[in-house]
Amino acid sequence: MTGAFPRTTDGKPDLQGFWQAPRGAAEDLQAPAGKPDKLTTKGVVEGGAIPYQPWASAKKLQNFAQRKAADPVGKCYFPGVPRIMYMPYPFQIFQTADQVAFTFAWSSTYRLIPTTGKPPLHEGLESWMGTSRGHWEGDTLVVKVTDHNNKTWFDMAGNFHSEALEVVERYTMLHADTIDYEATIEDSKVYTKPWKIHLTLGRQKNLQRIPEYECQAEKEEASGAFEPDSRTWYPKPGAKPAPPEKDATASSPLPPGGNLPDVAKTGEVLRRKTDGKPDLSGYYQADNGTANQGLERHEKIQFTPATKGVIADPPGGLLPYRAWARKEQINRQQPERGYDDPTAHCFVAGVPRSMYVPSPMQIVQTPQYLVLLFERMSWRVIPLDGRAHVSDKIRFWQGDSTGHWDGDTLVVDTTNLNGKTWLNEFGDVVSHAEHVVERFIPVSDHKIIYRATVTDPIVYNRPWTIEFPLNQEAEELLEVACHEDNGDLQHLKDIRDEFRALQKKEKK
Amino acid sequence: MRMRSWVAMLAMGLSLGGTLPAHHSFTAEFDDKKPVKLVGKVTEMKWSNPHSWIYIDVETNGKTVNWALETGAANALTRRGWKKGDLPAGTVLTVDGWQARNGSPTANVGTVTFGDGRKLFAGSSKESSTTK
Repeated sequence: MTGAFPRTTDGKPDLQGFWQAPRGAAEDLQAPAGKPDKLTTKGVVEGGAIPYQPWASAKKLQNFAQRKAADPVGKCYFPGVPRIMYMPYPFQIFQTADQVAFTFAWSSTYRLIPTTGKPPLHEGLESWMGTSRGHWEGDTLVVKVTDHNNKTWFDMAGNFHSEALEVVERYTMLHADTIDYEATIEDSKVYTKPWKIHLTLGRQKNLQRIPEYECQAEKEEASGAFEPDSRTWYPKPGAKPAPPEKDATASSPLPPGGNLPDVAKTGEVLRRKTDGKPDLSGYYQADNGTANQGLERHEKIQFTPATKGVIADPPGGLLPYRAWARKEQINRQQPERGYDDPTAHCFVAGVPRSMYVPSPMQIVQTPQYLVLLFERMSWRVIPLDGRAHVSDKIRFWQGDSTGHWDGDTLVVDTTNLNGKTWLNEFGDVVSHAEHVVERFIPVSDHKIIYRATVTDPIVYNRPWTIEFPLNQEAEELLEVACHEDNGDLQHLKDIRDEFRALQKKEKK
Repeated sequence: MRMRSWVAMLAMGLSLGGTLPAHHSFTAEFDDKKPVKLVGKVTEMKWSNPHSWIYIDVETNGKTVNWALETGAANALTRRGWKKGDLPAGTVLTVDGWQARNGSPTANVGTVTFGDGRKLFAGSSKESSTTK
């Protein structure tokens, strides 16, 4: 029986909000025979058992026996679909007339599901999360997921598939707080016939935002593979920024919106949403030269060409570093420090770096949220109600963002950053005291000027501002399964370890 | 003359300049003072992100060494129209790049040239450069 549920302005069931599946399915989709250790569940497979082919039954048993070491999710790899939908972590759904987007707590994973009926631009590319296409059948959102790789499992019990997998999901709202979730699973290489799972997603009424669970970072911090820096990480012992080393007001920061073309005079027409706000949605590539290799103006450095940099303020194009931080930035350019850049570990890039890593992004815009989906698999969700930040004690890789419209400019305020990120490969420094004010200034139907002012009194003597355009392109996001395929980290570690060994020897 | 044409292609290749890796510091991992020139047969193309890898067997003084060559992200290659199967095993390539600092047979690719002079993934490592 279905009850009353909300609808969007175009009449579709409104799936938006915070959701989570009940525990159990993530452990074992099937009701296990007996109770092998702690994996107990009622099972969500219709008919009780997955119709494996005989060879596949044997393989599943083998997976089960080796599950502690072999489960791809145990290695923090992307869970694939449907597994991501019933992981024991919450997710948020966003919905527009032509897209549905999911942002998950687990490892900053997201799904972007176009509902326009257009086929994918790049078909046949296998990925961990597959390629999703959706359409509405009455009040049910139907999503077909194809192009899976053969590396994901369905659960912790070793239930598996091949690259021939096709999943058809059906999302049906039963009432305001419950979505009926059904997935039909077909794989002629592994099963004797298609089979279905069935579960309900429950609304998470107490959530205001999706927290981060950065699986790989947590793991590497716990094992010591990624080491804390007490000068920048939160909480710094007795962290209290010292007064600026020189007159911080020597050069005044740019006025908001200054030096930009006045759209009213350029004759450019902005795209607009039905609520009258500028429509920023689309696929964008930042035009930032080599910002990910250094924000400052510089001459040619080895393989990095000379650049004017992206610093709009201070006028000289250099960052207003405190002495200790400049020393640290220079030190980070040594080969043995390459390993310390969190993005070399494929961790989330932070703010503002996420905006200029050389990889595209998709903006999804609803009246309540601006959602930034980064191809390098992370997201930022910016509520547009101007809400207050979360408690200062809560820290995230991407910080806590809150936005509001100032005329046609979207202003985003971000705090609660963890101080673990670098600003680029060149080692530009930022700490947990970082406070970022970003301005998204649309100047035509396909171009946004992006401007970010960073205040960080632990690292800098005064605020500074970067600026570059975001250009909309007719492309689609693909997946970057960064740490699954990260062939570089071991080399970087070898270089660091060799340096440390040498240092130790010299000390003796 | 086979060798002569390769030398010519290498000269062409060098003019394209260095690489701008997208995900980790190039100078940390690879040594700009260790340029390498390799001629070999493809054993595998690993189509992956944030970098793809080409593996080639290179014969030096009668010994065969399998080199791992880092190139552009699969996604960037896809958007330039390249497909996974475009580089079958056995393809002979000439590679100009820079060796990893740890001394292993690993290099970052500057240019890769086919036997007929075509460039492979031309500009593929330049993801960081300005996109207009």
